[in-house]
Amino acid sequence: MRPPAPKANVMGRAVDVPVTLKIALPRVPGIELVALQGLEHLARHLGIAADKVGEARIIVTEAIINAFEHSGPDTTEVRVEFTMTADELTIFVRDSGRGFDPKTMVERPSVTSRGMPSRRGWGMKLMRSLSDGFEISSGKRGTTITITKRLS
Amino acid sequence: MEQPFSLTSEVRENRLIITTNGYVNNVGGAAIAEEFQRHFTEGVRHVIIDLALSRVVNSVGMSFLIEIIEKLTDAGGRLVFTNLDPSVDKMLGIMGLYDFAGREATTEDALRALAIRS
Repeated sequence: MRPPAPKANVMGRAVDVPVTLKIALPRVPGIELVALQGLEHLARHLGIAADKVGEARIIVTEAIINAFEHSGPDTTEVRVEFTMTADELTIFVRDSGRGFDPKTMVERPSVTSRGMPSRRGWGMKLMRSLSDGFEISSGKRGTTITITKRLS
Repeated sequence: MEQPFSLTSEVRENRLIITTNGYVNNVGGAAIAEEFQRHFTEGVRHVIIDLALSRVVNSVGMSFLIEIIEKLTDAGGRLVFTNLDPSVDKMLGIMGLYDFAGREATTEDALRALAIRS
C-alpha cells in the first residue's frame, strides 16, 4: 500500500479538498483546448508536477476527440468532468451518442504488416498507458469513460 | 491556451527544418505533411521537426507524422524530432516512433546527427 502523499501547499495551506470542474463542450474544432485550459488551471492551483499535468493533457485530449469521433455525427456535445486533489485526478468524459458494446472493442495493432506504427487507433492505447485506471460503460444512451491518474 | 497552428520552414545543408507553433491536431498535422511533401518532391530526404512551441499533440496529428516517417523510410531518409515537451516525448515512445525516427535535444544536435548518417 502506498503511503499517503504529502498534500499540496497553496498559499501557505495544505490542500486536501477535491476541486471539481464540469464543462459541456460543443462540437467545435479544437474545443478540447478549452478543457485543457481548465485542467491546467486546477493543476496550478494544487501545485501538481508538470510531468503529471503533461500526461493528463494527452489523456484528456484523446478522450474528448475519441468521444466526438465515435459517438456519431448527431452528438452535439461532450460532457467532461475533472475532480482533482493533490494526489489524484479523476476524469469523466460522457457523450450521448450511439454507444457500443465495450466487449467488442479491440485495440488495433500498434504496428502494420510492414512493421511500421499504425497511423490511427492510438487513442485507447495512449489513455490506458498514461492512466492508472480506465473504465468504459456504454449503452443506447451514450458512452462514459472514467479515467483515474495518480498525481503524486 | 495553445496558439492556433502555424509553422515555418527552412532548408539547411539539404535538411528540411520545420518549426511548429501550436496544437498539432488534424489541421496542424496536415499542414506539416503538406510542407514536407513540397520539399520531398524536390528531393529532400532528411527532415527535422522542432516541436518546442507545440506542447499539445494529438494522435490524429501524429498520424500525419507517421505518414511522413513511412515515406522517408521508404526513400532511405530520416525524420528527427527536437525540443520535445516531456509528455509529447512519452507519447511518441508509447507509439513506437523512435524505432523509425530520431529525437535530439536541439535542432543543431539533429543536424549533427543527420550529418553522421549521410
